[in-house]
Amino acid sequence: MPHVLMPAHAAETVKLQFMYPVGVSGDINTIISGMIDEFNATHDGIVVEAIYAGSYDNTEQKVITSLGVGEPPSLWLPINSSLQTFLGLDALEDITEQAKSDDIYDDFIGGFLGTAISNDRLYGLSFQPSTPVLYYNKDAFAQAGIPEAPETWDQLFETAKALTVRDGDELKRWGLIIGGGWHDWMFEGYCRQNGLVPWEQDKVLWDRPESVEALAFWKTMVDAGCMAPASTWQGSANDFMAGSTAMLYHSTGSLTNLRTSSPFEVGVAFMPKRKTWGASQGGGPIMIAKNQSDAQKEAAYTFARWMTNTENQAAWSRATGYLAVRKSSWEMPEMQEYLVEVPQAKVAMEQSAYSGAFLQVPAYSKAREVLKSAIDRTLAGEVEVEAALASATDEVNREIARVMRRQQRG
Amino acid sequence: MSQNLVRTQRKEMLLAYALLLPSLVFLAAFTYWPIVRSIWFSLHDVLLGDPDIYWLGAENYLRLLNDRLFWKVLGNTAFYTLTSVPLSIAAALLLAVALDSKLRGMAIYRSAFFYPVMIPSVAAGMVWVFLYAPGYGPINEALTGLGLPRLDWLYDSKWALPAIVIMSIWKYSGYFMLILLAALKLVPSDLHEAAKLDGISAWDRLIHITIPMISPTLYFVIIIGTLHSYQIFDYVYVMTQGGPADSTNVLTFYIYQNGFQYQDIGYASALANALLIFVLGLIGLVSLTLGRRVHYLGER
Repeated sequence: MPHVLMPAHAAETVKLQFMYPVGVSGDINTIISGMIDEFNATHDGIVVEAIYAGSYDNTEQKVITSLGVGEPPSLWLPINSSLQTFLGLDALEDITEQAKSDDIYDDFIGGFLGTAISNDRLYGLSFQPSTPVLYYNKDAFAQAGIPEAPETWDQLFETAKALTVRDGDELKRWGLIIGGGWHDWMFEGYCRQNGLVPWEQDKVLWDRPESVEALAFWKTMVDAGCMAPASTWQGSANDFMAGSTAMLYHSTGSLTNLRTSSPFEVGVAFMPKRKTWGASQGGGPIMIAKNQSDAQKEAAYTFARWMTNTENQAAWSRATGYLAVRKSSWEMPEMQEYLVEVPQAKVAMEQSAYSGAFLQVPAYSKAREVLKSAIDRTLAGEVEVEAALASATDEVNREIARVMRRQQRG
Repeated sequence: MSQNLVRTQRKEMLLAYALLLPSLVFLAAFTYWPIVRSIWFSLHDVLLGDPDIYWLGAENYLRLLNDRLFWKVLGNTAFYTLTSVPLSIAAALLLAVALDSKLRGMAIYRSAFFYPVMIPSVAAGMVWVFLYAPGYGPINEALTGLGLPRLDWLYDSKWALPAIVIMSIWKYSGYFMLILLAALKLVPSDLHEAAKLDGISAWDRLIHITIPMISPTLYFVIIIGTLHSYQIFDYVYVMTQGGPADSTNVLTFYIYQNGFQYQDIGYASALANALLIFVLGLIGLVSLTLGRRVHYLGER
């Protein structure tokens, strides 16, 4: 039957574009492209084109712009906070049923999968969850005679003071740097540690006493000269590795790079608590575009599923420090050995039990900028803590109301 | 008028339009149409990524008036323009006068001062981030060497914008210098020789001969510099992202933030129109003040 095509030949190659960011310190790009090369080599009929799109913000902008012209990539990897933004654009494929008939709901760690769920529907497969952790320079601690990482805010303050080094007026080493650019993320962790999740579905709660106390605590540390008033994301990681700060709040995703590139022993600890331990999850899920052919959607799911399978998540977690999303990944012998060898990797995993989604409100992107600006201006001494947070809350809640008004019209 | 003359005139008109057409098409498509569209969008709720738009009337403009950050951004933009343009042109003028000689090796100096202009702005921005680094940056090392206090530069909300101004002077003065050098070549040398015979000092000759003689070029450079200055986006994007504490946020960056980061195309359009008015106002101010004092050669 020469004119009947065999099924294998009939299937055309499905091409997928996958946009991803690099959100932490280290050579993430090489690792991701390696994974994608492997996927392409082992999957006939699917070709994934990896598009490195810059930061999380850049990636989101590229995806949204391409949504605007009706040609979104098949998959993308945003920060989990953007969930409502993409749902507002009706951009996401609902993968609840597929995931339920698969092992996703059983094997994914609930707290991670939860960041891709809205109204009980699942819109992505968690790929690189993270939380901030406290990195500390063990050599500096030993020199200062401090045996352990601080566990409470008060201890953090004392430790930071003890580790700050000045030569006359000139600063030689900060006690503490809170990774700039994402310090609003850390700030949300401080609110959680003080007993408050500082947002609800349609508003932010930064003017609550718990939040005000958190920022006042930062201000105290800055005024005492032991915490840097401002920094940048990559710069703060470099400062830590160069010994310019003794402690650093940064993403777990930076663990492998900080641990292997620092010329001293790196300790990792929970972020110190006040009323409780607490952290907000960074990182995000792989999302699948709604506006594409069924063949593409299926191939996209295959790819997202592969990126988050047991072996790949275990390998990805070891290579970066991001938390593996599957329970089965953590049970693998390789992973168990790794945790014995690098006990620091366990810390973030244990801390994630106290973590939740990060600022999943409409207009989250503006909300983040407004909060960062309020924090910066407060730490620079331009405005009082309470006034800064009150006006930021006001501004953002007005913005959320504006965006929701639009969604109700549409 | 004879029929022939009318026909020739009409032919010339047609030819002129035909020659203008290609650039007109591009101008219309990429300049005038976007302006019209941004005015239209500024009156609507427009979300990037969503084809639906909703009428708002003046709401975006009212938001703008009550937006604390908008006024700060406008102030930052004005500060940048009012410092970087005069300072880089003054530096360019001094360089041009110093390099306007027939001594050997001058070409090397001219190339050296022009060199920053050729460096891509993103690369230049990255280099200056390193130069300004508080801990190990060469600028702080140099300040220490001179016995001056170290600064946090891009991390300090008081110094971040001046830091960008300083780097802009470095980046642009070579470009202005080249234009001014060309103008200096056209200043008749007998004027200077006569003045020298009368014992006029070099400074007085600069003020009373050189500057008036090259005033049309200076005027051109000021206009170009002003236009350049409100277009700074790349340095802010690469070096500070508008921070710390919004101290380096300028209008172009704020428009980008609202349009692409916050998807708020309606508000971004209102801001873009505010920028248009700001630039037209600046150019108007320059032409009303300095423009009147320009002295054109051969003018009566």
